[in-house]
Amino acid sequence: MATDTLYKDILLEHSRHPRNKGELEGADVVCRGSNPRCGDEVEVGLFMQGERLQSVRFRGRGCSVCMASSSLMTEAVSGRSRSEARDLCQQMQAWFTPGDGADVAEPLPALGALEAVRGYPARRRCVLLSWEALSEALASLP
Amino acid sequence: MLAASGSERHAAERLAGCSADFPLLTDAQQEQSLHYLDNAATTQKPRAVIAAISECYQEYYATVHRGLYPLAEEATRRYEQARQQIAGFVGAAAPSQLIFTRSTTEAINMVAYGWARTHLSAGDHVWVTRMDHHANLLPWQRVCREAGARLRVIELREDGTLDWQAAEGLFDRHTRLIALCQVSNVLGIVNPVQEICEQAALRGIPVLVDAAQSVAHMPVDVEALGCDFLAFSAHKMYGPSGIGALFARPERLAEMEPLLLGGGMVDRVTLDDSSWADYPSRFEAGSANLADAAGFAAAVAYLNQLGMDRIHGHVSALTRRALDSLAAVPGLQLLPQAGVDRSGIISFTLDGIHPHDIAQIAGERGVALRAGHHCCQPLLQSLGLAATVRASFAIYNTEADIDALLSAIDAARRLFESG
Repeated sequence: MATDTLYKDILLEHSRHPRNKGELEGADVVCRGSNPRCGDEVEVGLFMQGERLQSVRFRGRGCSVCMASSSLMTEAVSGRSRSEARDLCQQMQAWFTPGDGADVAEPLPALGALEAVRGYPARRRCVLLSWEALSEALASLP
Repeated sequence: MLAASGSERHAAERLAGCSADFPLLTDAQQEQSLHYLDNAATTQKPRAVIAAISECYQEYYATVHRGLYPLAEEATRRYEQARQQIAGFVGAAAPSQLIFTRSTTEAINMVAYGWARTHLSAGDHVWVTRMDHHANLLPWQRVCREAGARLRVIELREDGTLDWQAAEGLFDRHTRLIALCQVSNVLGIVNPVQEICEQAALRGIPVLVDAAQSVAHMPVDVEALGCDFLAFSAHKMYGPSGIGALFARPERLAEMEPLLLGGGMVDRVTLDDSSWADYPSRFEAGSANLADAAGFAAAVAYLNQLGMDRIHGHVSALTRRALDSLAAVPGLQLLPQAGVDRSGIISFTLDGIHPHDIAQIAGERGVALRAGHHCCQPLLQSLGLAATVRASFAIYNTEADIDALLSAIDAARRLFESG
Protein backbone atom coordinates (compact mmCIF):
# COMPACT_ATOMS: atom_id res chain seq x y z
CA MET A 1 0.00 0.00 0.00
CA ALA A 2 1.14 3.52 -0.78
CA THR A 3 1.10 4.31 2.94
CA ASP A 4 4.17 2.20 3.36
CA THR A 5 6.04 4.31 0.86
CA LEU A 6 5.30 7.68 2.46
CA TYR A 7 5.57 6.63 6.08
CA LYS A 8 9.06 5.14 5.99
CA ASP A 9 10.34 3.74 9.24
CA ILE A 10 12.98 6.44 9.56
CA LEU A 11 10.40 9.15 9.00
CA LEU A 12 8.05 7.66 11.58
CA GLU A 13 10.89 7.19 14.02
CA HIS A 14 11.93 10.85 13.71
CA SER A 15 8.34 12.03 14.08
CA ARG A 16 7.87 9.97 17.22
CA HIS A 17 11.22 10.90 18.71
CA PRO A 18 12.26 14.17 17.15
CA ARG A 19 15.91 15.15 17.72
CA ASN A 20 16.88 18.59 18.97
CA LYS A 21 13.31 19.55 19.76
CA GLY A 22 12.48 21.78 22.70
CA GLU A 23 13.37 25.13 24.21
CA LEU A 24 15.30 27.62 22.13
CA GLU A 25 16.50 29.77 24.99
CA GLY A 26 19.95 31.20 24.38
CA ALA A 27 19.77 30.81 20.62
CA ASP A 28 21.60 33.45 18.58
CA VAL A 29 18.69 33.73 16.21
CA VAL A 30 15.19 32.24 16.05
CA CYS A 31 12.97 32.22 12.97
CA ARG A 32 9.44 31.02 12.55
CA GLY A 33 7.87 29.17 9.66
CA SER A 34 4.16 28.59 9.31
CA ASN A 35 1.90 26.80 6.91
CA PRO A 36 -1.35 28.73 6.52
CA ARG A 37 -2.90 25.70 4.87
CA CYS A 38 -2.80 23.54 7.97
CA GLY A 39 -1.83 25.94 10.75
CA ASP A 40 1.43 24.16 11.45
CA GLU A 41 4.13 26.27 13.03
CA VAL A 42 7.81 25.62 13.57
CA GLU A 43 10.47 27.80 15.16
CA VAL A 44 14.10 27.12 14.38
CA GLY A 45 16.89 28.39 16.61
CA LEU A 46 20.57 28.61 15.70
CA PHE A 47 23.29 28.31 18.34
CA MET A 48 26.43 29.68 16.73
CA GLN A 49 30.08 29.15 17.41
CA GLY A 50 31.85 31.65 15.17
CA GLU A 51 30.97 30.83 11.57
CA ARG A 52 29.66 27.40 12.49
CA LEU A 53 26.21 26.23 13.55
CA GLN A 54 27.23 24.56 16.77
CA SER A 55 23.70 23.23 17.10
CA VAL A 56 20.29 23.82 15.57
CA ARG A 57 17.12 23.19 17.53
CA PHE A 58 13.42 23.52 16.82
CA ARG A 59 10.07 23.62 18.51
CA GLY A 60 6.48 23.73 17.30
CA ARG A 61 3.63 21.61 16.13
CA GLY A 62 3.00 19.88 12.87
CA CYS A 63 2.24 16.62 11.11
CA SER A 64 4.61 13.65 11.15
CA VAL A 65 6.26 14.76 7.91
CA CYS A 66 6.86 18.27 9.27
CA MET A 67 8.24 16.98 12.58
CA ALA A 68 10.46 14.37 10.91
CA SER A 69 11.79 16.84 8.37
CA SER A 70 12.56 19.34 11.15
CA SER A 71 14.31 16.67 13.17
CA LEU A 72 16.33 15.46 10.18
CA MET A 73 17.18 19.07 9.33
CA THR A 74 18.66 19.78 12.76
CA GLU A 75 20.85 16.68 12.50
CA ALA A 76 21.86 17.50 8.95
CA VAL A 77 23.06 21.05 9.61
CA SER A 78 24.36 21.01 13.17
CA GLY A 79 28.12 21.38 13.07
CA ARG A 80 28.17 22.79 9.55
CA SER A 81 29.33 26.20 8.39
CA ARG A 82 26.86 28.90 7.46
CA SER A 83 27.52 28.51 3.76
CA GLU A 84 27.19 24.72 3.90
CA ALA A 85 23.86 25.10 5.65
CA ARG A 86 22.72 27.66 3.07
CA ASP A 87 23.67 25.28 0.24
CA LEU A 88 21.70 22.49 1.89
CA CYS A 89 18.63 24.74 2.14
CA GLN A 90 18.88 25.50 -1.58
CA GLN A 91 19.34 21.84 -2.45
CA MET A 92 16.28 20.92 -0.38
CA GLN A 93 14.23 23.55 -2.24
CA ALA A 94 15.44 22.18 -5.59
CA TRP A 95 14.78 18.60 -4.50
CA PHE A 96 11.17 19.49 -3.69
CA THR A 97 10.50 21.89 -6.56
CA PRO A 98 7.66 20.46 -8.61
CA GLY A 99 8.49 19.60 -12.18
CA ASP A 100 12.17 19.15 -11.48
CA GLY A 101 12.99 15.73 -12.81
CA ALA A 102 13.85 12.60 -10.94
CA ASP A 103 17.50 13.33 -11.68
CA VAL A 104 17.70 15.65 -8.66
CA ALA A 105 19.25 13.58 -5.90
CA GLU A 106 18.73 13.96 -2.18
CA PRO A 107 21.11 16.57 -0.74
CA LEU A 108 22.46 14.10 1.83
CA PRO A 109 21.98 10.34 2.23
CA ALA A 110 20.64 10.99 5.73
CA LEU A 111 17.71 12.89 4.19
CA GLY A 112 16.75 9.95 1.96
CA ALA A 113 13.78 9.11 4.18
CA LEU A 114 12.06 12.20 2.76
CA GLU A 115 12.36 10.92 -0.82
CA ALA A 116 8.94 9.23 -0.62
CA VAL A 117 7.24 12.53 0.23
CA ARG A 118 8.26 13.95 -3.16
CA GLY A 119 5.42 11.93 -4.66
CA TYR A 120 2.90 13.96 -2.65
CA PRO A 121 2.96 17.60 -3.76
CA ALA A 122 0.39 18.54 -1.10
CA ARG A 123 2.95 17.63 1.57
CA ARG A 124 5.80 19.66 0.07
CA ARG A 125 5.22 22.51 2.51
CA CYS A 126 5.31 20.09 5.43
CA VAL A 127 8.85 19.10 4.45
CA LEU A 128 10.12 22.58 3.67
CA LEU A 129 8.63 24.51 6.59
CA SER A 130 11.61 24.09 8.92
CA TRP A 131 14.10 24.44 6.07
CA GLU A 132 12.59 27.78 5.11
CA ALA A 133 12.76 28.92 8.72
CA LEU A 134 16.41 27.81 8.80
CA SER A 135 17.12 29.69 5.59
CA GLU A 136 15.57 32.84 7.01
CA ALA A 137 17.50 32.41 10.26
CA LEU A 138 20.77 32.09 8.35
CA ALA A 139 19.98 35.22 6.37
CA SER A 140 19.26 37.19 9.51
CA LEU A 141 22.56 36.34 11.22
CA PRO A 142 24.71 39.42 11.71
CA MET B 1 -27.47 8.82 20.83
CA LEU B 2 -30.64 8.29 18.83
CA ALA B 3 -31.20 5.12 16.87
CA ALA B 4 -32.28 5.52 13.26
CA SER B 5 -36.04 5.78 13.12
CA GLY B 6 -38.20 3.74 10.78
CA SER B 7 -38.78 6.65 8.44
CA GLU B 8 -35.07 7.36 8.25
CA ARG B 9 -34.37 3.75 7.40
CA HIS B 10 -36.98 3.98 4.69
CA ALA B 11 -35.41 7.14 3.29
CA ALA B 12 -32.01 5.48 3.32
CA GLU B 13 -33.36 2.59 1.28
CA ARG B 14 -34.98 4.84 -1.29
CA LEU B 15 -31.76 6.78 -1.75
CA ALA B 16 -29.50 3.77 -1.59
CA GLY B 17 -29.25 3.31 -5.34
CA CYS B 18 -28.50 6.91 -6.20
CA SER B 19 -24.73 6.46 -6.26
CA ALA B 20 -25.34 4.76 -9.62
CA ASP B 21 -26.29 8.22 -10.94
CA PHE B 22 -22.74 9.47 -10.33
CA PRO B 23 -20.32 8.32 -13.03
CA LEU B 24 -17.19 9.24 -11.09
CA LEU B 25 -18.26 7.04 -8.20
CA THR B 26 -19.29 4.07 -10.28
CA ASP B 27 -17.30 4.03 -13.53
CA ALA B 28 -14.31 3.00 -11.47
CA GLN B 29 -11.27 4.69 -12.91
CA GLN B 30 -9.52 4.22 -9.58
CA GLU B 31 -7.75 1.02 -8.73
CA GLN B 32 -9.58 0.92 -5.41
CA SER B 33 -13.11 1.94 -4.52
CA LEU B 34 -13.59 5.59 -3.62
CA HIS B 35 -15.21 6.53 -0.31
CA TYR B 36 -15.88 10.19 -0.97
CA LEU B 37 -16.38 12.00 2.34
CA ASP B 38 -15.30 15.51 1.35
CA ASN B 39 -18.77 16.65 0.37
CA ALA B 40 -18.65 19.84 2.42
CA ALA B 41 -15.81 20.95 0.12
CA THR B 42 -17.55 19.93 -3.08
CA THR B 43 -19.90 17.20 -4.26
CA GLN B 44 -19.73 14.79 -7.19
CA LYS B 45 -22.02 15.32 -10.16
CA PRO B 46 -24.91 13.14 -11.27
CA ARG B 47 -25.27 12.15 -14.92
CA ALA B 48 -28.29 14.48 -15.24
CA VAL B 49 -26.12 17.52 -14.48
CA ILE B 50 -23.31 16.47 -16.78
CA ALA B 51 -25.87 15.79 -19.53
CA ALA B 52 -27.57 19.17 -19.06
CA ILE B 53 -24.28 21.02 -19.54
CA SER B 54 -23.43 18.94 -22.56
CA GLU B 55 -26.93 19.35 -23.99
CA CYS B 56 -26.64 23.12 -23.74
CA TYR B 57 -23.47 23.21 -25.83
CA GLN B 58 -24.84 20.68 -28.32
CA GLU B 59 -28.37 21.95 -28.74
CA TYR B 60 -29.11 25.52 -27.73
CA TYR B 61 -25.92 27.40 -26.96
CA ALA B 62 -25.87 31.09 -27.92
CA THR B 63 -25.62 34.49 -26.28
CA VAL B 64 -28.18 35.31 -23.59
CA HIS B 65 -30.31 38.50 -23.59
CA ARG B 66 -28.60 39.83 -26.71
CA GLY B 67 -29.47 37.92 -29.88
CA LEU B 68 -32.61 38.30 -31.97
CA TYR B 69 -32.29 35.01 -33.84
CA PRO B 70 -34.18 31.89 -32.69
CA LEU B 71 -31.13 30.15 -31.21
CA ALA B 72 -30.32 33.11 -28.97
CA GLU B 73 -33.95 33.37 -27.98
CA GLU B 74 -33.89 29.74 -26.96
CA ALA B 75 -30.66 30.32 -24.98
CA THR B 76 -32.30 33.24 -23.18
CA ARG B 77 -35.41 31.22 -22.47
CA ARG B 78 -33.36 28.37 -20.98
CA TYR B 79 -31.28 30.74 -18.86
CA GLU B 80 -34.38 32.37 -17.40
CA GLN B 81 -35.99 28.98 -16.93
CA ALA B 82 -32.92 27.92 -14.90
CA ARG B 83 -33.24 31.05 -12.79
CA GLN B 84 -36.90 30.31 -12.19
CA GLN B 85 -36.18 26.72 -11.12
CA ILE B 86 -33.37 27.70 -8.74
CA ALA B 87 -35.35 30.63 -7.30
CA GLY B 88 -38.25 28.24 -6.73
CA PHE B 89 -35.94 25.75 -5.04
CA VAL B 90 -35.13 28.25 -2.27
CA GLY B 91 -38.67 29.57 -2.13
CA ALA B 92 -38.10 33.02 -3.66
CA ALA B 93 -41.34 34.81 -4.46
CA ALA B 94 -40.09 35.86 -7.90
CA PRO B 95 -37.28 34.59 -10.17
CA SER B 96 -35.93 38.15 -10.49
CA GLN B 97 -34.88 37.97 -6.84
CA LEU B 98 -32.21 35.43 -7.75
CA ILE B 99 -28.90 36.75 -9.09
CA PHE B 100 -26.45 34.37 -10.70
CA THR B 101 -22.94 34.70 -9.28
CA ARG B 102 -19.76 32.67 -9.57
CA SER B 103 -20.01 31.31 -6.05
CA THR B 104 -21.24 31.82 -2.51
CA THR B 105 -18.11 33.89 -1.95
CA GLU B 106 -18.98 36.23 -4.81
CA ALA B 107 -22.57 36.48 -3.62
CA ILE B 108 -21.47 37.58 -0.13
CA ASN B 109 -18.95 40.02 -1.54
CA MET B 110 -21.69 41.41 -3.76
CA VAL B 111 -23.73 42.27 -0.67
CA ALA B 112 -20.69 43.57 1.22
CA TYR B 113 -19.59 45.95 -1.52
CA GLY B 114 -22.88 46.56 -3.30
CA TRP B 115 -25.11 46.98 -0.30
CA ALA B 116 -23.26 47.24 3.02
CA ARG B 117 -20.67 49.75 1.84
CA THR B 118 -23.36 52.31 1.08
CA HIS B 119 -25.36 51.49 4.23
CA LEU B 120 -22.61 51.52 6.86
CA SER B 121 -21.46 54.55 8.81
CA ALA B 122 -18.99 55.05 11.62
CA GLY B 123 -20.35 53.56 14.83
CA ASP B 124 -22.57 50.99 13.11
CA HIS B 125 -22.28 47.31 13.95
CA VAL B 126 -22.15 44.28 11.67
CA TRP B 127 -22.48 40.89 13.35
CA VAL B 128 -20.99 37.57 12.25
CA THR B 129 -20.51 34.35 14.19
CA ARG B 130 -17.46 32.57 15.58
CA MET B 131 -18.15 29.65 13.25
CA ASP B 132 -18.38 31.56 9.96
CA HIS B 133 -16.26 30.63 6.98
CA HIS B 134 -13.63 33.18 5.92
CA ALA B 135 -15.92 33.98 2.96
CA ASN B 136 -18.50 35.31 5.41
CA LEU B 137 -15.96 37.13 7.57
CA LEU B 138 -13.29 38.79 5.46
CA PRO B 139 -15.67 40.94 3.33
CA TRP B 140 -17.27 42.27 6.53
CA GLN B 141 -13.88 42.92 8.11
CA ARG B 142 -12.97 45.09 5.16
CA VAL B 143 -16.20 47.04 4.74
CA CYS B 144 -16.38 47.66 8.48
CA ARG B 145 -12.80 48.94 8.54
CA GLU B 146 -13.51 51.23 5.60
CA ALA B 147 -16.68 52.62 7.16
CA GLY B 148 -15.36 52.88 10.70
CA ALA B 149 -18.04 50.37 11.67
CA ARG B 150 -17.54 47.68 14.28
CA LEU B 151 -17.47 43.98 13.43
CA ARG B 152 -18.99 42.00 16.27
CA VAL B 153 -19.05 38.27 16.87
CA ILE B 154 -21.72 35.93 18.19
CA GLU B 155 -19.77 33.45 20.27
CA LEU B 156 -20.47 29.75 20.81
CA ARG B 157 -21.62 27.87 23.85
CA GLU B 158 -19.45 25.17 25.37
CA ASP B 159 -21.22 22.58 23.19
CA GLY B 160 -20.48 24.51 20.01
CA THR B 161 -23.99 25.87 19.45
CA LEU B 162 -24.53 29.54 18.73
CA ASP B 163 -24.94 31.57 21.91
CA TRP B 164 -26.99 34.27 20.21
CA GLN B 165 -29.15 35.08 23.22
CA ALA B 166 -25.97 36.10 25.06
CA ALA B 167 -24.80 38.38 22.25
CA GLU B 168 -25.43 41.69 23.94
CA GLY B 169 -26.60 44.34 21.51
CA LEU B 170 -27.24 41.91 18.67
CA PHE B 171 -30.57 43.52 17.90
CA ASP B 172 -29.92 47.05 19.11
CA ARG B 173 -30.09 50.24 17.09
CA HIS B 174 -26.41 50.10 16.05
CA THR B 175 -26.77 46.82 14.19
CA ARG B 176 -26.95 47.32 10.42
CA LEU B 177 -26.58 43.68 9.36
CA ILE B 178 -26.32 40.16 10.77
CA ALA B 179 -24.41 37.72 8.54
CA LEU B 180 -24.31 34.07 9.54
CA CYS B 181 -24.04 30.57 8.17
CA GLN B 182 -27.03 28.27 8.34
CA VAL B 183 -24.77 25.24 8.82
CA SER B 184 -21.17 25.40 10.05
CA ASN B 185 -18.74 23.88 7.55
CA VAL B 186 -16.56 22.64 10.42
CA LEU B 187 -18.99 21.67 13.19
CA GLY B 188 -22.03 20.80 11.07
CA ILE B 189 -24.17 22.63 13.62
CA VAL B 190 -27.43 24.04 12.27
CA ASN B 191 -28.01 27.59 13.46
CA PRO B 192 -31.46 28.89 14.49
CA VAL B 193 -31.58 31.21 11.51
CA GLN B 194 -35.34 31.53 11.51
CA GLU B 195 -35.47 32.70 15.14
CA ILE B 196 -32.66 35.18 14.57
CA CYS B 197 -34.39 36.53 11.44
CA GLU B 198 -37.64 36.94 13.39
CA GLN B 199 -35.95 38.99 16.09
CA ALA B 200 -33.99 40.99 13.53
CA ALA B 201 -37.12 41.74 11.51
CA LEU B 202 -38.79 43.30 14.57
CA ARG B 203 -36.00 45.90 14.55
CA GLY B 204 -35.69 46.18 10.78
CA ILE B 205 -32.21 44.61 10.75
CA PRO B 206 -31.32 42.80 7.51
CA VAL B 207 -29.93 39.24 7.80
CA LEU B 208 -27.62 37.53 5.31
CA VAL B 209 -27.57 33.74 5.40
CA ASP B 210 -24.60 31.79 4.05
CA ALA B 211 -26.43 28.67 2.91
CA ALA B 212 -23.47 27.00 1.19
CA GLN B 213 -23.59 24.02 3.56
CA SER B 214 -27.34 23.76 3.98
CA VAL B 215 -29.02 23.92 0.55
CA ALA B 216 -27.97 20.42 -0.46
CA HIS B 217 -29.00 18.75 2.77
CA MET B 218 -32.21 20.29 4.05
CA PRO B 219 -35.21 22.17 2.69
CA VAL B 220 -34.28 25.86 2.57
CA ASP B 221 -37.04 28.41 2.10
CA VAL B 222 -36.21 32.09 2.16
CA GLU B 223 -39.77 33.08 3.02
CA ALA B 224 -39.91 30.67 5.95
CA LEU B 225 -36.45 31.74 7.12
CA GLY B 226 -37.29 35.41 6.72
CA CYS B 227 -33.81 36.37 5.61
CA ASP B 228 -32.95 39.37 3.43
CA PHE B 229 -30.06 37.72 1.58
CA LEU B 230 -29.21 34.07 0.97
CA ALA B 231 -25.98 32.98 -0.71
CA PHE B 232 -25.22 29.51 -2.06
CA SER B 233 -23.14 27.60 -4.61
CA ALA B 234 -24.10 24.97 -7.18
CA HIS B 235 -21.02 22.81 -6.72
CA LYS B 236 -21.84 21.83 -3.14
CA MET B 237 -25.31 20.69 -4.23
CA TYR B 238 -24.29 18.31 -7.05
CA GLY B 239 -24.25 21.11 -9.63
CA PRO B 240 -21.36 22.51 -11.68
CA SER B 241 -18.46 24.47 -10.24
CA GLY B 242 -18.13 28.15 -11.11
CA ILE B 243 -21.73 29.17 -10.54
CA GLY B 244 -23.65 30.24 -7.45
CA ALA B 245 -26.54 32.48 -6.55
CA LEU B 246 -27.63 35.33 -4.37
CA PHE B 247 -31.24 35.63 -3.31
CA ALA B 248 -32.27 39.05 -2.01
CA ARG B 249 -35.52 40.73 -1.07
CA PRO B 250 -36.75 43.25 -3.65
CA GLU B 251 -36.19 46.22 -1.31
CA ARG B 252 -32.58 45.14 -0.77
CA LEU B 253 -32.03 44.63 -4.48
CA ALA B 254 -33.34 48.13 -5.07
CA GLU B 255 -30.81 49.46 -2.52
CA MET B 256 -27.87 47.50 -3.90
CA GLU B 257 -25.24 48.85 -6.29
CA PRO B 258 -23.81 46.54 -8.94
CA LEU B 259 -20.32 45.17 -8.25
CA LEU B 260 -19.33 44.72 -11.87
CA LEU B 261 -20.11 47.22 -14.58
CA GLY B 262 -20.25 46.34 -18.25
CA GLY B 263 -22.42 44.84 -20.93
CA GLY B 264 -25.93 43.65 -20.33
CA MET B 265 -26.53 45.48 -17.07
CA VAL B 266 -27.32 48.95 -18.39
CA ASP B 267 -30.36 50.86 -19.37
CA ARG B 268 -28.84 53.85 -21.15
CA VAL B 269 -25.18 54.71 -21.60
CA THR B 270 -23.63 57.93 -22.82
CA LEU B 271 -19.97 58.88 -22.63
CA ASP B 272 -20.72 60.93 -19.53
CA ASP B 273 -23.22 58.87 -17.63
CA SER B 274 -25.07 55.58 -17.48
CA SER B 275 -28.13 54.18 -15.82
CA TRP B 276 -28.63 50.60 -14.80
CA ALA B 277 -31.03 48.02 -16.09
CA ASP B 278 -33.54 46.51 -13.71
CA TYR B 279 -32.48 43.64 -11.50
CA PRO B 280 -31.51 40.82 -11.93
CA SER B 281 -29.67 41.97 -15.11
CA ARG B 282 -28.21 44.92 -13.19
CA PHE B 283 -26.10 42.51 -11.17
CA GLU B 284 -25.03 40.21 -13.99
CA ALA B 285 -22.67 42.26 -16.14
CA GLY B 286 -20.95 40.37 -18.93
CA SER B 287 -22.03 37.33 -20.89
CA ALA B 288 -24.11 34.83 -18.98
CA ASN B 289 -22.79 31.44 -17.87
CA LEU B 290 -25.56 29.59 -19.67
CA ALA B 291 -24.30 26.03 -19.56
CA ASP B 292 -23.57 26.11 -15.86
CA ALA B 293 -26.92 27.72 -15.16
CA ALA B 294 -28.49 24.79 -17.01
CA GLY B 295 -26.38 22.38 -14.95
CA PHE B 296 -27.36 24.22 -11.77
CA ALA B 297 -31.06 23.87 -12.68
CA ALA B 298 -30.54 20.19 -13.44
CA ALA B 299 -29.02 19.72 -9.99
CA VAL B 300 -32.04 21.38 -8.43
CA ALA B 301 -34.38 19.15 -10.45
CA TYR B 302 -32.37 16.11 -9.35
CA LEU B 303 -32.63 17.10 -5.68
CA ASN B 304 -36.35 17.79 -6.03
CA GLN B 305 -36.84 14.41 -7.58
CA LEU B 306 -35.08 12.67 -4.67
CA GLY B 307 -36.92 14.90 -2.20
CA MET B 308 -35.18 17.22 0.24
CA ASP B 309 -36.87 15.64 3.26
CA ARG B 310 -35.64 12.21 2.23
CA ILE B 311 -32.16 13.55 1.57
CA HIS B 312 -32.13 15.15 4.99
CA GLY B 313 -33.28 11.89 6.57
CA HIS B 314 -30.64 9.82 4.80
CA VAL B 315 -27.71 12.14 5.54
CA SER B 316 -28.82 12.66 9.16
CA ALA B 317 -29.12 8.92 9.76
CA LEU B 318 -25.69 8.25 8.26
CA THR B 319 -24.17 11.06 10.30
CA ARG B 320 -25.63 9.69 13.52
CA ARG B 321 -24.33 6.23 12.77
CA ALA B 322 -20.90 7.60 12.01
CA LEU B 323 -20.97 9.61 15.25
CA ASP B 324 -21.90 6.52 17.26
CA SER B 325 -18.99 4.58 15.82
CA LEU B 326 -16.49 7.43 16.04
CA ALA B 327 -17.39 8.17 19.66
CA ALA B 328 -16.20 4.66 20.53
CA VAL B 329 -12.72 5.09 18.98
CA PRO B 330 -10.13 5.50 21.77
CA GLY B 331 -8.45 8.90 21.74
CA LEU B 332 -10.89 10.36 19.22
CA GLN B 333 -12.35 13.75 20.12
CA LEU B 334 -15.50 14.82 18.33
CA LEU B 335 -16.11 18.50 17.60
CA PRO B 336 -18.52 19.26 18.98
CA GLN B 337 -18.85 16.38 21.42
CA ALA B 338 -21.26 13.54 20.74
CA GLY B 339 -24.87 14.32 21.54
CA VAL B 340 -24.99 17.69 19.79
CA ASP B 341 -27.18 17.41 16.73
CA ARG B 342 -25.61 18.33 13.41
CA SER B 343 -26.04 18.06 9.66
CA GLY B 344 -23.81 15.78 7.59
CA ILE B 345 -20.49 17.19 8.80
CA ILE B 346 -18.25 15.66 11.45
CA SER B 347 -14.97 17.16 12.63
CA PHE B 348 -12.63 15.29 14.93
CA THR B 349 -9.08 14.98 16.17
CA LEU B 350 -7.20 11.91 17.25
CA ASP B 351 -4.78 12.04 20.18
CA GLY B 352 -1.18 11.99 19.05
CA ILE B 353 -1.88 11.91 15.32
CA HIS B 354 -1.90 15.04 13.20
CA PRO B 355 -5.01 15.56 11.04
CA HIS B 356 -2.85 15.68 7.90
CA ASP B 357 -1.47 12.26 8.63
CA ILE B 358 -4.94 10.82 9.18
CA ALA B 359 -6.20 12.33 5.92
CA GLN B 360 -3.12 11.08 4.07
CA ILE B 361 -3.45 7.53 5.35
CA ALA B 362 -7.20 7.57 4.69
CA GLY B 363 -6.60 8.93 1.19
CA GLU B 364 -4.26 6.11 0.39
CA ARG B 365 -7.02 3.70 1.42
CA GLY B 366 -9.55 5.35 -0.87
CA VAL B 367 -11.23 7.46 1.81
CA ALA B 368 -11.39 11.15 0.82
CA LEU B 369 -11.36 13.32 3.95
CA ARG B 370 -10.37 16.89 4.60
CA ALA B 371 -7.77 18.01 7.11
CA GLY B 372 -6.96 21.58 8.04
CA HIS B 373 -8.65 24.70 9.34
CA HIS B 374 -11.41 24.54 6.71
CA CYS B 375 -11.21 28.33 6.16
CA CYS B 376 -12.40 28.89 9.73
CA GLN B 377 -9.27 30.02 11.54
CA PRO B 378 -11.04 32.10 14.23
CA LEU B 379 -13.16 29.07 15.15
CA LEU B 380 -10.15 26.76 15.40
CA GLN B 381 -8.27 29.39 17.41
CA SER B 382 -11.10 29.43 19.93
CA LEU B 383 -10.94 25.64 20.13
CA GLY B 384 -7.17 25.78 20.62
CA LEU B 385 -6.58 23.72 17.49
CA ALA B 386 -4.59 24.23 14.31
CA ALA B 387 -6.49 21.64 12.32
CA THR B 388 -9.19 19.00 12.43
CA VAL B 389 -10.14 16.04 10.29
CA ARG B 390 -13.50 16.47 8.61
CA ALA B 391 -15.76 13.80 7.18
CA SER B 392 -18.85 15.08 5.39
CA PHE B 393 -21.68 13.02 3.98
CA ALA B 394 -23.89 13.24 0.92
CA ILE B 395 -26.77 11.41 -0.71
CA TYR B 396 -24.55 8.74 -2.31
CA ASN B 397 -22.74 7.75 0.87
CA THR B 398 -23.54 4.47 2.59
CA GLU B 399 -22.60 2.42 5.63
CA ALA B 400 -19.66 1.07 3.61
CA ASP B 401 -18.14 4.56 3.61
CA ILE B 402 -18.40 4.72 7.40
CA ASP B 403 -16.75 1.30 7.66
CA ALA B 404 -13.94 2.46 5.38
CA LEU B 405 -13.52 5.62 7.47
CA LEU B 406 -13.27 3.59 10.69
CA SER B 407 -10.84 1.18 9.14
CA ALA B 408 -8.66 4.08 7.92
CA ILE B 409 -8.64 5.59 11.41
CA ASP B 410 -7.68 2.21 12.78
CA ALA B 411 -4.82 1.97 10.27
CA ALA B 412 -3.58 5.42 11.29
CA ARG B 413 -3.66 4.46 14.97
CA ARG B 414 -1.76 1.25 14.33
CA LEU B 415 0.87 3.01 12.24
CA PHE B 416 1.50 5.73 14.79
CA GLU B 417 1.06 3.76 17.95
CA SER B 418 3.40 0.94 17.06
CA GLY B 419 7.08 1.54 17.73
